Amino acid sequence: MKKTNLFKKGLFLVLSFCFALSVSAQQKTISGTVTSQTDGEALPGVNVIVKGTNSGTSTDFDGNYSINVSDTNATLVFSYIGYVTKEMKVSGNTLNVVLAEDLAALEEVVVVGYGSRKKSDLTGAVSSVNSEELTAFPVLDAAQALQGRAAGVVVQSNNGGEPGAPINIQIRGNTSINASSSPLIVVDGFVGATFPQPNDIQSIEVLKDASATAIYGSRGSNGVVLVTTKKGRSGALSIEINSNYSVQNTSNELDLLDANQFAAYQQAINPAYVQGPANTDWQDLLYRTGSIQNHQASFSGGTDKVNFYASANYFKQDGVLINSEFERFTFLSNIDAQVTDKLKLGINVFGSRGAENGVPTQSTGETANGGGDDVVSGSFRFAPDLGVLDENGLNTINGVGDDIDNPVAVATEGVNEVKADEYRANLYANYDIIENLAFKTTFGFSTTNETAGLFRPSTLITTAGGNVGGRAAIANLKETNIISENYLTYNTALGKGQLTLLAGYSYQKETRELFAAGAQTFTSDSFSYRNLSGGAVQLIPTSSLVESEIQSQFGRINYDYDDKYLFTATVRRDGASNFAANEKIAIFPSAAFGWKISNESFLKDNETISNLKLRASYGVTGNQAISPFQSLARFDNLYAVNNGQTINAVTPDQPANPDLKWETSNQTNLGLDIGLFNNKISLSLDYYNIDTEDLILADNTQAQFLGFLTPRSLRNIGEVNNKGFEINLNTRNISNQDFSWTTDFNLAINRNEVVALGGDIDLFLDASPGYFNLPRTHLLREGEVLGAFWGYDYQGVYQGGDLPEGTALLPGGEAGDQLFTDVDGSGDISPSDQQIIGDPTPDFTFGFTNNFSYKNFDLNIFFQGVQGGDIMNLTAIQLFNGDSNATTDILNSWTPTNTNTNIPRARLRGKEISSRFVEDGSYIRLKNIALGYTLPSEVVEKLGMQNVRLSLSAQNLFTITNYSGLDPEVSYFGSGGGSSSDANTTNGFDFGNYPNVRSVNFSVNLKF
Amino acid sequence: MKTTHKFLMLLIGLSIIGCSDLEEQPVGLLAPEGFFQTTRDIQTAVNGSYGHLTHEDFWGRKMSLTILLRSDMVDIGDPTTSARRIEHNEFNVPADNGMIPDNWRRSFQTIAAANQAIAGAAQVDAPDEQKNPIVAQSYFLRAFTYFHLVRQFGDIPYLSEPVTDVQAAGSISKTSAADVYANIIADLEFAKQWLPNTQPARSIPAKSAAHSYLALVHLTMGNFQEAYNEAKGVIDNEGAYDLALEADFQDLFDATTIDGSKEPIFSLDFNGFRDGDAGQDYQPALTGIRSDEQYGIGGGWSVAVPSLEVYNTWDDRDYRKAVSFDPTGVFDGNVEPFTNYRNFNSRAVNRPHIAKYTRRTGVTANNNGRASQHNYSMMRYAEVLLIAAEALNEISPNSTEAEGYVNRVRDRARNGGTFPEDVSGLSQDDFRDMVLDERRLELAFEFKRWYDIARRRLGSEVFSASGLEGAKPNFDPNQDYLFPLPADELVRNPNLLPQNPGY
Repeated sequence: MKKTNLFKKGLFLVLSFCFALSVSAQQKTISGTVTSQTDGEALPGVNVIVKGTNSGTSTDFDGNYSINVSDTNATLVFSYIGYVTKEMKVSGNTLNVVLAEDLAALEEVVVVGYGSRKKSDLTGAVSSVNSEELTAFPVLDAAQALQGRAAGVVVQSNNGGEPGAPINIQIRGNTSINASSSPLIVVDGFVGATFPQPNDIQSIEVLKDASATAIYGSRGSNGVVLVTTKKGRSGALSIEINSNYSVQNTSNELDLLDANQFAAYQQAINPAYVQGPANTDWQDLLYRTGSIQNHQASFSGGTDKVNFYASANYFKQDGVLINSEFERFTFLSNIDAQVTDKLKLGINVFGSRGAENGVPTQSTGETANGGGDDVVSGSFRFAPDLGVLDENGLNTINGVGDDIDNPVAVATEGVNEVKADEYRANLYANYDIIENLAFKTTFGFSTTNETAGLFRPSTLITTAGGNVGGRAAIANLKETNIISENYLTYNTALGKGQLTLLAGYSYQKETRELFAAGAQTFTSDSFSYRNLSGGAVQLIPTSSLVESEIQSQFGRINYDYDDKYLFTATVRRDGASNFAANEKIAIFPSAAFGWKISNESFLKDNETISNLKLRASYGVTGNQAISPFQSLARFDNLYAVNNGQTINAVTPDQPANPDLKWETSNQTNLGLDIGLFNNKISLSLDYYNIDTEDLILADNTQAQFLGFLTPRSLRNIGEVNNKGFEINLNTRNISNQDFSWTTDFNLAINRNEVVALGGDIDLFLDASPGYFNLPRTHLLREGEVLGAFWGYDYQGVYQGGDLPEGTALLPGGEAGDQLFTDVDGSGDISPSDQQIIGDPTPDFTFGFTNNFSYKNFDLNIFFQGVQGGDIMNLTAIQLFNGDSNATTDILNSWTPTNTNTNIPRARLRGKEISSRFVEDGSYIRLKNIALGYTLPSEVVEKLGMQNVRLSLSAQNLFTITNYSGLDPEVSYFGSGGGSSSDANTTNGFDFGNYPNVRSVNFSVNLKF
Repeated sequence: MKTTHKFLMLLIGLSIIGCSDLEEQPVGLLAPEGFFQTTRDIQTAVNGSYGHLTHEDFWGRKMSLTILLRSDMVDIGDPTTSARRIEHNEFNVPADNGMIPDNWRRSFQTIAAANQAIAGAAQVDAPDEQKNPIVAQSYFLRAFTYFHLVRQFGDIPYLSEPVTDVQAAGSISKTSAADVYANIIADLEFAKQWLPNTQPARSIPAKSAAHSYLALVHLTMGNFQEAYNEAKGVIDNEGAYDLALEADFQDLFDATTIDGSKEPIFSLDFNGFRDGDAGQDYQPALTGIRSDEQYGIGGGWSVAVPSLEVYNTWDDRDYRKAVSFDPTGVFDGNVEPFTNYRNFNSRAVNRPHIAKYTRRTGVTANNNGRASQHNYSMMRYAEVLLIAAEALNEISPNSTEAEGYVNRVRDRARNGGTFPEDVSGLSQDDFRDMVLDERRLELAFEFKRWYDIARRRLGSEVFSASGLEGAKPNFDPNQDYLFPLPADELVRNPNLLPQNPGY
């Protein structure tokens, strides 16, 4: 966008000379400066004309103008492309004008794959998010800032408010079952990069339909996120300092029993229970006031030949759970040089070091330790009548249920560190071979080095895996990525239209090297994970090397006829090493058509409809889905012992599968863009249908007696469908000199359905903690949503006497126990009575932003929410189970004298999944409210600065929801711990998340 | 301009790399092609079966616990334990019982590893005299595993080669139990021919293992003459095979002394380490007393606990009783009788617990004695003596030879005391009952009893009201001597129908 602005400025300077010639020199002279409202900078080349005359001028490089008027009541009209035209009455001799940017600017240029287009010429579905939205409040990761900003883009933390938690992005639903549904991230042309700092990002484009993503071929089916970082601009050195500080608290805590209530409750279950000596509020001990500080300095500037942008950033978060923190340093530098008229060279360099010090949350729920490796669920489960230490000064172990260590000991004595370094460099050369024909080549290299260390001292009994005298492990992952992309762009007029051709070649290679080792039974707890040889028992180390290559050819044709009809066609041919022997090459075509109806003669001068465009596209994209070496016949090592020694042993792992291929998405998109009243109202509507076929699934029809270690071969047998509707509404409600008000609203509906699973079978998944012993929590069944909840249908409390029609009890049930629907009519409840009891898919998701500005104040109010979608409250299952502490709801449990209740009697019971724990996950959240103040330019100038902005904001100030758990943004994936594929199919479960936070933030922005 | 071009060419040269053939060259992964070069590679492939057999799916817990609970010697302790376990104890096993699929899959993985080693050995360029003694281990292990399967499931799919065509191999039908037995015997005969008389450890089958298993297989089939011949063959080769009864019965269940013992003939070896559930021995946890402190392993889970009758009917003078049971535990530092166990953990049960696997676990890598250093005897010399006695009684009753075999076992059981006394002068029927009961006590909790009940069709008697565990009303002799074939496997391959009777 900045590049085009410069171009426009230049063009208008030239044009304005023409006007200058016609100026007649007489009467009163008015002079002043025109500046931009956005950044307070002078605007050169602004057209200034006297209304009703053809006399005019334009502003110079410093935004100054001077014009003669004959009438002292004259009105001056200030116009500038990309800005809202302003009319001002003359008074006095000086008239300074501030122009507001035209927010609905259809001339905006957006980045697309291997190029850019005018927004008005887009034929695909592309959402843009600008830097103001990305930096509205402090976030760890720019991905987080996308939440609620673009229709059809669902963003969720993998683990609540955990410092350093990974952020999942999903565009237009889950198009896979086993493969990742995460989009491809492209940063300044580097495919597969990670997000830079939000403050360094100029804009983010989200490519959603196949017409936009098919140029990324076998990696395009989950959508593509294009990130453009800030570039320097010619002119004096500009220094910008952004600093903010946030204070955070948990947004919610559970209302648990205190020691006396707890003892009474346990005595109702087990009369022999003896109350413990303490009264501990474990949540109180675990939570603290957290903070985030984020400081960034950036430098930019340049000459007419060389521009640069460089920034350094420091981010530090102390999480709301004790002992959890994250710290990161980042730098980014962009240098562009116009070496000759035809040759432009540039380099983009990025580096970061992150250090996370965590506490275990989101229980992996290993049965062996009773799931007690998680301090959040531990704080709910642990007996409140015990203290942190027992009378012998040792860490307490839970007095009821499974033996788990107390959560304070786990949080303070364990070590969970992750240190990650990432460096990335991307060089490019752009050469104009002849007029209209340009060649661009980029060469990039990135490397990530991540070390994860874990230590459980001997003082933690169950979390260390028993009386083993401490356990430590260290793992190192090194990833390198080399990418080379080379393409020609040709541009020419053809007939009444404009033709653009693109053709290119790309090569990319990724390498992953992994090493992990561990030991236990240490002579001292002081070693942490830094002295594995100090462990008497060495655990089995692992190492691996995985390489994959992809080489591709790609091309695109754009033809814009008469600024009315837009055609786009793309194709990509991908060859990938991880594809199976018989399917090495994949081809992904797409085509799109756009019709600018508003440019037709019958609408051209319509005053109401300022823009009307129809878009239609169809394309084929892929998801690589096959991991390297997955199609090859393999042996695998396995652990074997003979004569007391561990020995080498192999066993058949899987047969060769030479026909395994990528997953293919066929996507249709229909879009309509409407602009009304000079684009004061702009509305985009998109409908899409994505049929994804050849999904790679484990073949459940493969007999297990074949004896392969991986008992089910992968085959291309699944199909899912996603269809949806997206609305993006943008209005400029009020816009005048002192006050402006704009509104953005987006809403997305997505429906998914499992179409085929390779046979009329039910696939059951498990997303509960291992110690729940529940093998079936989610269902995949043809004709149903991806991952419906599976369990018993709760029918209330059994009051004794005859069983209500169609219901039954679990074996041994009596009055006060749970009644469930007796699906098979057998008279008692067994797994054959389980059925679909919930659907985690939301009806729709939305974001709603209002921006107000009054003089130097600005106010941003951002709501975000989800309507519909069920949550399975696993926390409640645990807490009503009798073998742990409980919420105070348990005080209303059924007794012979308290029969009018939905809560069964207090007793020990299995952890059954039932509709009793399915809750509505709808919510509306005030994600951000921010008040900003920009110091008046007079004051700022006195301070020797260009701009000073202060802002105070609050995040997650309130949430409206009926969900009884801590937070409706849930993301528990069971023992697997949230691998990318789990996020496709096992959504909607809540257990032991790092809590979400409420924060208040103060920030300062200084510009020199 | 010239400089520009140079820059450009340099950049392009740097940039356009690749033009790869996209072939995958995995490093650190094992591919079947080219794996079998030397006899060492055959051994590595043979070892795959050992790894599978000590996995949680098989001996670690799933298979072993199943046959333990189905016997009349071991009952459920903790009543809240998984339903899939209780179902076996109570004989109300549904076709989709949760213990069976893992056992089924792992058994066939053991067989697939053996098949791969056998096929791979054919590719190795070495004389039979070098290859066959190694690959004979796989013949033995294949027979060993099919022997478990055929006793559990009856007719089963039988594979003797590595699978390359998944579709074809996956749609085969069942092989009759009789044919499976014939194949087992053929494999054991091959192993008996080629295995050396002794091996460096008893966890590697020697000729004695093949020989002894031939005896047990024939005994199971009711071929008493062959069973006797084979058992006698082992006994006659006692010296060559380096076999003897361990002097102190307790030492058979001591992980620190068992490696030096001459009694085990074939054992599964755990060494205190594990890789996840591979090599993790759950027997100490499953049989140990909840919250018990006496062995410093963090107690057990009180899952598999004999009924009180098993303890009460066993003569106190029999040394094996003291070795087999823990009638006391240590809680809060105090020795407590079994009648108090439940006072210290609500999931414990007030009965003496099995002591064979908790008392001397060696160093264990995990709490509750999981991943012990035990060697589990699949076959020990005492059993060979009892096989010889049982078989001889069927073909030639009232022999002092048969009495002699039993009395060798009883002599060791007395441990210098007076009980059990030597046997003599029993009728054929009484001798049969005596020798089966001797097996019950000598091999108590050693995973043999269920198979004895099944092969001798004792169910209606031992699961009646007068049985050790009281009446098991669900026991159906027309159904319960076999397990159900895994229900989902029948859906995947309907050629395996029909399901076993009653399921």
